[in-house]
Amino acid sequence: MRLPDVERGDTLRSRTLIRIISAVSGIRLPDAARVAFYHKGFVGPMFGAWTQAAMRGPSEWSIGERELMAAMVAHWNSCTFCIGAHRAIAVRGTDPQTVNACLTDYRTAPIPERLRATLSFLETMTREPDKLDATHAQAAFSAGTSQAQLVDAAAVAAIFNIVTRYADALDFTIPTEEEFDKAAGMMLKRGYS
Amino acid sequence: MESFNVNQQLAHALRAVVTGSGGEADASLRAAALERAAGGSPIAQPYDDLARQIGEAAYRVTDAHVVAVRDATGSDKGAFEIIMSACIGAGLSRWDAAVRAIEGAGDAAS
Repeated sequence: MRLPDVERGDTLRSRTLIRIISAVSGIRLPDAARVAFYHKGFVGPMFGAWTQAAMRGPSEWSIGERELMAAMVAHWNSCTFCIGAHRAIAVRGTDPQTVNACLTDYRTAPIPERLRATLSFLETMTREPDKLDATHAQAAFSAGTSQAQLVDAAAVAAIFNIVTRYADALDFTIPTEEEFDKAAGMMLKRGYS
Repeated sequence: MESFNVNQQLAHALRAVVTGSGGEADASLRAAALERAAGGSPIAQPYDDLARQIGEAAYRVTDAHVVAVRDATGSDKGAFEIIMSACIGAGLSRWDAAVRAIEGAGDAAS
């Protein structure tokens, strides 16, 4: 990582946790977790609370669908770490071929129309937020997305427009596919808080 | 709508923490980085190059961008705060755009 203090931990407790979790899990603790442990007096707890609510709180979207949305935002932001991390979680709740088809081209992937229309909204939100307007939301509603679903999806996209940026700005180490898979299991058990 | 209210409250709370008193870097600098990454006016260097790049395409941030800000703030924590402020600015501006679009569609339907 570009900031060594973030990578190793800024307190005895966090450094110890990083070592223990790495030893018990058998993988290098991913940099996303190291960021979550760092500088707890700043944004970490509040950002963690929003992320947990958006990704694991009550929603008409499944966890797998929300992880797919996260992977798509990562794809649109060219964030290798987050594509890998959230694809690995998404495929535990959604058919891997469907996840891969979305990452290739969600417009032709075998997914429900409301999910396709929601991803279209999220793509504009991510890539051209200045152009996002009521017509984009209306298109999602017309495809069967509820207002609550679109709000929930927008929260996921807002959060991953943040995460993908710090993953790249800090130059996260890219885990192997096996490490992504092991980390996915941990993320499904413990969530984001 | 509950989901809207919960998410809006959390977004507001996150913005308040970024620009509040609980950091090492100057609060006005963090606020400026947040706004710059959301497309706001240029700010002092070397913060401007980093915040703008984070907003536009974070995968193009370089070691030099981060080293310059780390040197300017004097600590990893200070640099971390600027980076996170910019990232959060880019995310919150997109959240705000989504809220306007969703509310606009709701108004049009009523």
